[in-house]
Amino acid sequence: MKHQLKKIKLLLALPFLIILTGCWDQTGLDDQVFVIGIGMDKAEEKGKINITYLIANPEVGSSTQASANNEEAMMTVTIQASDFISMRNNANSVIAREISYDLLRVILVSEELAKEEEFIRYLYTSEKDREIKRNVHLVVTKEKAEEFFKKNSPKFLSRPHKFYENMIGRAIQVGIVPNSELHQFFRITEEDANAFLAIYATSDIEKEKNKYRISENDAVAGNVKIKGETNNSQFLGAAVFLEGKMIGKMTGVENRIVMLLNDTSDVSDILTVVPDPFDEDYQLTVRITKRQNTEVVMDVNSKPPRIHATLPLTIDVLTDPSMSNPVEDKEKIEEVKKSFERFLEEKAMKVVTKTQEEFKVEPFGWSLYARKEFKTLREYMDFDWMKTYPDMKIDVDINLRFGKFGKQPKTPSYEGIRD
Amino acid sequence: MFKLLKKISGRKKKGKSIQSNNTLDEQKNKRDQSISQNIDDNIDFIKSIYQFPDNRDVKFREFKVGGSNKRVAIIFISSITDVRTIEDSSIRPLLENKEPNLDIKGIISTQNVTIFPNMKDVVSNINTGNAVIFLEDDSNAYVFECANFQGRAVEKAENEVIIKGSKEALTEKVVVNLSLIRKRIKNEALMAESVTISERSQNEIYILYVRNLADDQLVDNIKNRLKNLDVDSIQNLALLEQYIEERRMSLFPSLLYSERPDRAAAFLEDGHVVLLMDNSPDALILPATFWSFFHTPEDHYLRFVFGNFARIIRIVAMFITIFISAIYVAVTSFHSEMIPADLLLAIAGSREKVPFPVFFEIILMEAAFELIREAGLRVPNPMGPTIGIVGALVLGQAAVEANIISPIVIIVVALSGLTSFTISDISLQFALRIIRFLFIAAAGIFGIFGMTALFVMGIFYLVSLKSFGVPFLAPMSPHYVSSGDTIFRRVITNENFRPGYLKPDDLKKKGDGATK
Repeated sequence: MKHQLKKIKLLLALPFLIILTGCWDQTGLDDQVFVIGIGMDKAEEKGKINITYLIANPEVGSSTQASANNEEAMMTVTIQASDFISMRNNANSVIAREISYDLLRVILVSEELAKEEEFIRYLYTSEKDREIKRNVHLVVTKEKAEEFFKKNSPKFLSRPHKFYENMIGRAIQVGIVPNSELHQFFRITEEDANAFLAIYATSDIEKEKNKYRISENDAVAGNVKIKGETNNSQFLGAAVFLEGKMIGKMTGVENRIVMLLNDTSDVSDILTVVPDPFDEDYQLTVRITKRQNTEVVMDVNSKPPRIHATLPLTIDVLTDPSMSNPVEDKEKIEEVKKSFERFLEEKAMKVVTKTQEEFKVEPFGWSLYARKEFKTLREYMDFDWMKTYPDMKIDVDINLRFGKFGKQPKTPSYEGIRD
Repeated sequence: MFKLLKKISGRKKKGKSIQSNNTLDEQKNKRDQSISQNIDDNIDFIKSIYQFPDNRDVKFREFKVGGSNKRVAIIFISSITDVRTIEDSSIRPLLENKEPNLDIKGIISTQNVTIFPNMKDVVSNINTGNAVIFLEDDSNAYVFECANFQGRAVEKAENEVIIKGSKEALTEKVVVNLSLIRKRIKNEALMAESVTISERSQNEIYILYVRNLADDQLVDNIKNRLKNLDVDSIQNLALLEQYIEERRMSLFPSLLYSERPDRAAAFLEDGHVVLLMDNSPDALILPATFWSFFHTPEDHYLRFVFGNFARIIRIVAMFITIFISAIYVAVTSFHSEMIPADLLLAIAGSREKVPFPVFFEIILMEAAFELIREAGLRVPNPMGPTIGIVGALVLGQAAVEANIISPIVIIVVALSGLTSFTISDISLQFALRIIRFLFIAAAGIFGIFGMTALFVMGIFYLVSLKSFGVPFLAPMSPHYVSSGDTIFRRVITNENFRPGYLKPDDLKKKGDGATK
């Protein structure tokens, strides 16, 4: 009888074995708050940073059933903490629920902190957290991240995750900001040969008079004058990171050139302007598409080492403001081609020189091609890519091909209409 | 575990075994005697067997034959005989007969007249609707066929509805069913053997197969199983199915139950065996594989592309009905990172005021759906199902407005309920509905991990099942030569093999093309 009782007890314990091993990490969605963005700012105390949470309110704008119409779509909380992970509990002194990083989209860093040597220590904690995904974007803001979160108020996309997703996604497609996923940051920083480019953004628009630029994108965020009642923050240009520390900025156009030259990025929709070779008052709008990967030829043995990069581009010429109709004339086409190549090569070379002289590090990912030139890893290490780069002789060739000349290639001549 | 429980429960139940008065043997013994010369003895004997006149529809007609002046008695049960035949082809000719020598076989004008010397056969013939003639000074009984059982006419199929193809359904009369099948297979090799399977009710089963196609071993196996049944009565095929299947506790059916004669004929031509029975408007097809439950005849009646389109929808629906509720539970409580941000926020927002955890919410709604389905089925009024569905919608809407259920749960449950109707076979449908709950439980405890584990276990189980020696997932796993008709079907001219797992005598079908 006693023996049997024991068996029954064991039998009753069996369900607990399953249930107790199962449910332990279960959390209901309604017991969590979702952090969309994390801001990092310098704190006064050493070893600490100010962390700002941008938290989405799930009840606003998500479904008609959720009826919290008078609540804000998001809120921000700033607390001094030593890292992201301990912050999750620190913030619970003001936030009622478990903090989840499942929807984390951006990590904002103020320029001030990004230029600190210490910065890398704080960012690397994001690698430890299980919930922070590697495709979170790193954004550098001119002002404090905390301020950016507060000032940024998009007119239509009031739900924050949607705004950051769409804003960054489209800007990367267009090429005015780099694809700055955390994964790339860690990869490039640990590779120790290239520069990492992060998105540059600000809500601190300069009041100074707009100076002349061929393309409005040839500026960094904050320098473009935009009127109207749109959002008061701009995402434009790149922050250059060397060994996990910010060392400079690039404009939107410079960033596009880097992205075109770099084979790992996928910029797909570039519309830009090029000076009209027939009339210097006007510019031609062109769509630039990369036909295939950049061809990089290297000679690491010569002194100084040489790099010859050929960039195969297809260009659609979409406007013709001087009405000079280059389509009809082979000679004119040749002229346009030459002038484009000259212009683009000049632009590209300018960027290359800037990286060589100002940053002393390259963001084009050419070190990957260089590795093939060495027989052993040791030889490559001895070569010291990072040190050698500023002295290299580099030229960029544009291999240009024309695509379409707009929907209707032929325009009537200006004189023909105005006679 | 079950043994232990049995042991525990078994101890308390040591009462007396049930006493059975073997009335069946008594009944058998009584009628087991030969026919006497004396006609009065015979009549009295039959009257005592049928307890005449308490048994009202047993009729006795006694008269003298015109010519020979001999006494004659005609006995039959009026409710199951065609009285007009009896009058026209036996009573009138006998009365009007002027010959001095009485020759019964020469007078009675029905298809056949059989002579029996034994009371046992006489009684069983009366029971099956035939009429018996006793003659004065004759120790033989003359039996002629005039059975006429009442039943429905051939009607439209109601459970396995198709748009293109035959609309006939089997009925409760086995003769009609046989006729419907013979209409489709006009071949002398189509056998219709009969076996009596029960002792009291004497239920008869017809075993149909095509002699030179079906595997003899399979047919013998089935015949043996039927002959070895030791039961009082099996009223219909649905009950028989439960007697002859191999795993009675299994979730999955192992015999295909269909009301369509065209389906039965198609399986016969592939070398399957079909069982028919009086009182069952269905055919029992065996052996059956998982695919036969998943298919409908229309998949083949429709053109190749359309048929396969229907198959895709059905397989998708099958997975939806099993998994969607479970996935919702798993993803919302364990893997919230898997949901797109918008949906995640929408779910979180709508769950803000719901008092129950997701698992309980889903179980509540699924149970409500099952209730409505069951209640809708039992409501006698044909309006029942409609009211049930409307009730469900109103109920769901009200539950959402009262913040008991979040609106997304209604979508999930409605989808899982709706998709379960795409499987037309009722046995498989039940199996899927039960499996759904198992998956929800697994998801509630372990998340996707638990679901995966359960799915793997389920596949193990499916693979281990057999129906009359045929693996349940054949010909997909294990692989056999066949027409390749599993999830998808082939173009009809390429379906030129009979299923190899049946070991048919003739594996290759004729006609691998429209031309000769």
